[in-house]
Amino acid sequence: MGKKDGNVRMSLQTLRVLEVFLENPTERFAGAEVHQRCGIASGTLYPILLRLESAGWFTSQWESIDPSSLGRPRRRLYRLTSAGLRRASEVFASFNRGVLA
Amino acid sequence: MSQRNERLRQSDVIHWLIHHAAHRAPESLSSRLEEEWLADVESRSSAWSRLRFALGCCWATMVIVSEYPRSRVPAASSAAAARGFITLADRNFGYFSLRSGTLFLIAGLHAVLFYVLITTLSHTHGLATPPNLQNYPVNPVAPEKVPPPPAMEMKGWTIDVQKLVVDVPPKIDVEDDAPRQVVEKSPEPYSPSLPPETPIHVVQQVGGGPGAGFPETADFYPSLSIHLGEEGISTVRVCVDAKGRLTSEPTTVKGSGNARLDEGALKLARAGSGHYRATTEDGQPVNSCYAFGVRFQLKK
Repeated sequence: MGKKDGNVRMSLQTLRVLEVFLENPTERFAGAEVHQRCGIASGTLYPILLRLESAGWFTSQWESIDPSSLGRPRRRLYRLTSAGLRRASEVFASFNRGVLA
Repeated sequence: MSQRNERLRQSDVIHWLIHHAAHRAPESLSSRLEEEWLADVESRSSAWSRLRFALGCCWATMVIVSEYPRSRVPAASSAAAARGFITLADRNFGYFSLRSGTLFLIAGLHAVLFYVLITTLSHTHGLATPPNLQNYPVNPVAPEKVPPPPAMEMKGWTIDVQKLVVDVPPKIDVEDDAPRQVVEKSPEPYSPSLPPETPIHVVQQVGGGPGAGFPETADFYPSLSIHLGEEGISTVRVCVDAKGRLTSEPTTVKGSGNARLDEGALKLARAGSGHYRATTEDGQPVNSCYAFGVRFQLKK
């Protein structure tokens, strides 16, 4: 997956995923929520999430809920790491404004 | 009952697809991906959306397998031996990487489609040839004279069609920081239709704008724009009633060049509904539309 030195191949879809996390840097998102916010299909989204996690930009953990009481399975939640936040900001700053608009 | 059975059958297919996709992934990720995908598929409402999600997971697995370091996927390598395409992708035999294989597949499909198209066209070539057409001058047909409609009379009743008079409010464009100005309508030139004794009324008009209690621009500065140091002025057009409330959705007249800032300006304009100062004519607030600028500027 991603490289341990933190370099990630930047595609438009990767930028769109990063934008979702940058808008709320402290929030945790499940893959389903990221899909709802940026509309990227699952076939593209999950490799990107794993790539960014493997590169150290994201960290993930299971949702701490009781599935039987909520009636749904627990989700895997992703969050930007501080290194990921810094690198993602650098990436966006290097682009011209409005690239993603 | 049959609908429920149908739903259960669809759910089984989707779960099977996800299970199948997850088990083709590297062993260290397999159980995690299956649980994650089964949880995420629950958020999809329609059966079609769930099916697309499950098929997407199959594709995701192929991408993950091709990208995952070989040192970290010992199980994947042995399991992949039985799966022709993935095996070729993993071993990266020159032209037979996953990506180039997909490219060849797409190119092959295009070639087949092109061949079918060409052969079909060659069969229908004779039929598609247009017949010889000649142009003939056509005598122009005189327009039919339509007699004027008779006065509408029904059993002794006569309907008079009255003239429709529409009052159109004046269009005013006001900048946010521009001083409010009094606009006086210049007297219109002499019109013979007006009776000479009609007095010329000068309307004193004061343009509207954001008024007391209008939200702060800083509250609508997009957080990402602050983070990236984005600044700009977005000009928004609003239509407000006499009480300073929006009568229609605000629109961007002149963008700042940044979609995030423009969206922030629109949110500000929406939030300000009820806090606009209405345009007044002779001191009376009236409905009007005007534009104002929203400046997003970071403090130095």
